[in-house]
Amino acid sequence: MSQMLGAFEQAVLLAILRLREDAYGRAILKEVQKRLQRNVAAGAVHATLERLAKKGLVVSRLGAGTPVRGGRARRFYRLQAKGVHALNEAREAADSLWHGLTWPLKGYLCL
Amino acid sequence: MPVTADPPRWAEALLRAFLKPDDFESVSGDLLEQYRDSIYPARGKRRADLWYVSQVFSFVSSGARLFAALFSAQFLARTTLDWFLPPADFHTRSTVSTALGAGILLVAGFWAAWRSASFAAGAIAGVLTAALASVTSIAGAAVMLAFWHGPQTLTAIRNSGGLEEVFSSPLIMLLPGLFLGASGGVVATALRRLVLVFSRSQGC
Repeated sequence: MSQMLGAFEQAVLLAILRLREDAYGRAILKEVQKRLQRNVAAGAVHATLERLAKKGLVVSRLGAGTPVRGGRARRFYRLQAKGVHALNEAREAADSLWHGLTWPLKGYLCL
Repeated sequence: MPVTADPPRWAEALLRAFLKPDDFESVSGDLLEQYRDSIYPARGKRRADLWYVSQVFSFVSSGARLFAALFSAQFLARTTLDWFLPPADFHTRSTVSTALGAGILLVAGFWAAWRSASFAAGAIAGVLTAALASVTSIAGAAVMLAFWHGPQTLTAIRNSGGLEEVFSSPLIMLLPGLFLGASGGVVATALRRLVLVFSRSQGC
């Protein structure tokens, strides 16, 4: 099994997958915040995107800016095959860990 | 109604100094978009500016945190040795510890300036590293003192320079952090230029 994705890395990759051709920095941040139901710093998302690109899981390109951004370009991200494979592996691992247990956990005694 | 408010220019300049040149336009554009279309309308100018500064800080401090952790680790390791294995002469240990700390600040400045191609990023990284390290070093020393403050330990502390030195020396590193970070920054930007000139001459 190749190196496991962290939870936040998974959140960012899944956001890119959901957003498809609209997956640029700000949109990815909003999607991650919506799914995780908490505030996330832009720096954390940027650092994660940089790390994922270095690992070859995503690629990026600059696209057109918009007036609200002062015309500044947006960087759009796209999953690579390696990124899809990593997500599939992460899901397989999670399923294996939870196999035989019912979610949500109830009635288990903590010793 | 479209918002055309702008965040503090100095914060934007800090972001520019710290980010890789390729990243500045898209990252600053993302922050500006969020500032204008959701933060400013919901919070008003003052709180929106505070939000923007905190976001810039999250970018700027992410690299400095590792170097700050290394700096604190070497400071607390030295403090532990002074308290529990006091040497006859503190000079050698002090020299090694100072050299290590200075080296970490130089590398922090070099790394930041290399990434962003900006000498200013080196100086900022040096100060930030020293500032973050002061907080964690002082907190770490306070925790150590809370656990170990018997007569033998207090004697060792007195002999190694006293509590004033333990709690003030991290703070004294702020100004050296600026100069050492800037020095690392100068080396990094000069080296980047050399690499660029060399690769152009090779037709890369």
